[in-house]
Amino acid sequence: MDEEYDVIVLGTGLTECILSGLLSVEGKKVLHMDRNDYYGGESASLNLTQLYRKFRPDQAPPADLGRDRDYAVDLVPKFIIASGELTKILVHTDVTRYLEFKQIAGSYVYREGRISKVPSTEMEAVRSPLMGLFEKRRAKKFFEFLQGWKDEDPTTHQGINLDEDSMKTVYEKFGLEAGTQDFIGHAMALYLDDDYITKPARPSYDRIVLYTSSMARYGKSPYIYPLYGLGELPQSFARLSAIYGGTYMLDKKIDAIVTDSDGKFVGVTSGGETVKAKQVIGDPSYFGANGGDGGKVRVVEEGKVVRAICFLKHPIPGTDDSDSCQIIIPQNQVNRRHDIYIAMVSSTHNVCAKGVYVAIVSTVVETDRPEQEIAAGLSLLGPIYDKFVDITPLYTPTSSGQADNIFITRSYDATSHFETVVEDVQDVWKRVVGSDLVLKKREVEVQN
Amino acid sequence: MSPATTSTQPVNVKLLLIGNSSVGKSSLLLRFSDEQWLPEDESSATIGVDFRVHKMDVKGKKVKLSIWDTAGQERFRTITSSYYRGAQGIILVYDVANRESFEALPRWYSELETYVSSSVVKILVGNKVDKEFSRQVPTAEAEKFAARMSSLFVETSAKTSVGVKEAFTEVVEQIMDTPELWENTSARGQGTAHGNGGVPGGVQVVGLMDEQKPGEGCAC
Ligand SMILES: Cc1cc2nc3c(=O)[nH]c(=O)nc-3n(C[C@H](O)[C@H](O)[C@H](O)COP(=O)(O)OP(=O)(O)OC[C@H]3O[C@@H](n4cnc5c(N)ncnc54)[C@H](O)[C@@H]3O)c2cc1C
Ligand SMILES: Nc1nc2c(ncn2[C@@H]2O[C@H](COP(=O)(O)OP(=O)(O)O)[C@@H](O)[C@H]2O)c(=O)[nH]1
Ligand SMILES: [Mg+2]
Repeated sequence: MDEEYDVIVLGTGLTECILSGLLSVEGKKVLHMDRNDYYGGESASLNLTQLYRKFRPDQAPPADLGRDRDYAVDLVPKFIIASGELTKILVHTDVTRYLEFKQIAGSYVYREGRISKVPSTEMEAVRSPLMGLFEKRRAKKFFEFLQGWKDEDPTTHQGINLDEDSMKTVYEKFGLEAGTQDFIGHAMALYLDDDYITKPARPSYDRIVLYTSSMARYGKSPYIYPLYGLGELPQSFARLSAIYGGTYMLDKKIDAIVTDSDGKFVGVTSGGETVKAKQVIGDPSYFGANGGDGGKVRVVEEGKVVRAICFLKHPIPGTDDSDSCQIIIPQNQVNRRHDIYIAMVSSTHNVCAKGVYVAIVSTVVETDRPEQEIAAGLSLLGPIYDKFVDITPLYTPTSSGQADNIFITRSYDATSHFETVVEDVQDVWKRVVGSDLVLKKREVEVQN
Repeated sequence: MSPATTSTQPVNVKLLLIGNSSVGKSSLLLRFSDEQWLPEDESSATIGVDFRVHKMDVKGKKVKLSIWDTAGQERFRTITSSYYRGAQGIILVYDVANRESFEALPRWYSELETYVSSSVVKILVGNKVDKEFSRQVPTAEAEKFAARMSSLFVETSAKTSVGVKEAFTEVVEQIMDTPELWENTSARGQGTAHGNGGVPGGVQVVGLMDEQKPGEGCAC
C-alpha cells in the first residue's frame, strides 16, 4: 500500500459511492475502504444473517423466514423519485445498466384515523374521499394554477409572486382547507414539518411539480425502487468507480486519520499501514461520530431518527393488497411536529422470501421515548411478525473540510427519498473539487 | 407473460468472468470479443472494460452474449454481490503457471454458491498454456477438479488464442441445452435488462404492462 492516492473515501454508503464513482470518472485516483465486509455502510441492504448480527448478535434468524440469500433488508427506508435528481445521476453515469427498477405500487396518506390513496389519476382524484366536492373544485383550480405557471408570463401568475409570497398566501388565495394543506404539503411536497408554510412558495411549487411529473411518468406512484434493494445503488456506483480505476477494500478497520502539525490530512492508517492521499472523504462514523478517531470529533449530532424494520406476513391493511407502498401520517393528524412515514416493499422486489412484507416505520425523534412516537404507524401494519428498532443520530460535519482536506458527508435523514442525498453529493463535490458538479455523459463503449 | 422467444429474436445470455487477479480474465475477454492481444506492459491499462457484447449463432439460434469483467474488484475480494445478478454462465479462470490461482478456486466456488443458482453453467479455464515450461498445474488434476465441481473444462492462452473460442462456445452451448436458463428469463424474478447490455441512458422499469389491471383507469 505504498501508492499515493488523490482521494481516499471511507465508508461505502450511497453518498460516498456516488462521489467515488464521479471522482474516478473525472480521472482521480481513488482508494475506497469500508470497515464492514459488505458494501453500503448505513445505506446497505442486509441479508438475514447480517441483519441479526447487527441487531441481535446472539440469535440466529428463525428458519420460517426462508433462505438467507433471498433477503436484502434496507437499513434506511427511501424511494427514488422518478424524475428526481438521483434518477438524473443514474441516467447520466449509465449505472442504470447494472440496475432494474420496479414501480412502488401506491402512495397513501393518513387522515382522521384511516388511510386513503393519494390520487394518481384524475379519475382517482374525483373519487377520492380526501376532499369534499367543493374542496375538490378549489383544489383543481390550485393545481391548474401550478400547472399553468410560466415565470416569463405574468398573466399566469394570478397576482402571486412565488419568490416573495408565502405558501400560506397561496393556500389562502385558493381557499384550501387545513386538511387539504396537510395533504399537499406533506403527501405531495413531502415536507416533514410545517415550517414551509410561512416561507416563500417557490420551493413548495418546485416540489409539487416534481411530484406530479414523477407521478405522470409511470402512473401509480412517483417512486421507483431497485430490485434486490437499495443496497444495489452504492454497489453500482462502486463498480463505476472500479471501472475507472478505483481500488476497493472492504473489512478494513480504520485505526487513525493521520494529520500533519497544522492539522492537515496526510493519510489513513489501517492494519498498521498508512496510506497517503491528498484528500479524504468519509461518512460521519469514521470521524468521531462513534467517539472513534482518537477522540477527535469532527461531526455534531443534529437530531435522531427512529426506524422500525418490521417483517409482516401480509400486505398492509387498507392498501388494496399492494406489493409496495408509502404511507404518510402528517404530523397534524397525530399531534406531532414531524410526519411519520411507512415504506413497504416485498418479494416482488427480490428483497425477501415469498409471503413476507418488509415495512419500515420512521420519524424524527421528538421525545425521550422514540419507539412510542411511531406507535401510530406500527398500529396500521396489522400483526407484526418481527421488529427491529434502530435509533440513529443524524450527524453533520463541523467544518467544510477545505482547511484540512477532510471532507465529511451527512447521515441519511428522515425524508422518504434521495433528494437530500444528492444535495449532499453536490455539496461535498463542490468542497472537494472547488467547482459545481456538472454531470457528463459516460462515453458509451464500442459495441458490435 | 412474454411469448416464447421467436427464431428472429436473439436469446440474451449473460456470462461472468471470475478468478484471481492477473490470471488473464480481461485478456481472455479482449481476445474473444475484439480478437486483440495487448502486450504485457500495456495490459494494466485495460481499465474501463465493463462488459462486451458478442453475437453468435449456436445450434440454429441467434445468441446475444454479454460478457462481464470484474472491473478489478477481485484484487481485494470486493466483487459486489450485484455483479452476479442474472448470470447464466460463469467462467472461472486460473493461471496454469500459478499454483496459488488454482488453490484459490474453492473460495470462488463458495462465493458462487452464495450468489448464483446451482443450475448456472460453469466452466473452469486454465489460462496461459503458452507458458508450458513453467506450468504448475497438471491438466489431469484440473480436469478432475472441474468434474468434481460439475464444471466444463478447457485450457487456453489469451496470448496465442489457443482454446479461447472453444471456452466461450462450450459454455454458451451448454446454456442453450438448458432451456430453463433462458426460455423464460423471468425465472429469476422479472425478465428484462440485467446484463443484456442494458440500454444506455434509460431507466429499466420492469413489469409496467402486466401491472395494469383491467378496468382500472390508466394514467396515460
Ligand atoms: C420530468 C421528465 C419526464 C419525462 N417523461 C417521459 C415519459 O414519460 N416518456 C418518455 O418517453 N420520455 C420522457 N421524458 C424524456 C426522456 O426521458 C428523455 O428526454 C429521453 O430519454 C432523451 O434522453 P437524452 O439522453 O437525450 O437526455 P438526457 O440528458 O439523458 O436526459 C434528459 C433529462 O431527462 C432525464 N431522464 C432521461 N431519461 C430518463 C428516464 N428514463 N427516467 C428518468 N429520467 C430520465 C434526465 O435525468 C435528464 O434530466 C421525460 C423527461 C423528463 C425530464
Ligand atoms: N503468457 C501469457 N500471459 C497472459 C495470458 N493472458 C494474460 N496474460 C498476461 O497476464 C497479465 C494479467 O492479465 P489480465 O488479463 O489483466 O488478468 P486479470 O487480472 O485476470 O484480468 C497481463 O500481463 C497479461 O498480458 C496468456 O494467455 N499468456
Ligand atoms: Mg482484469
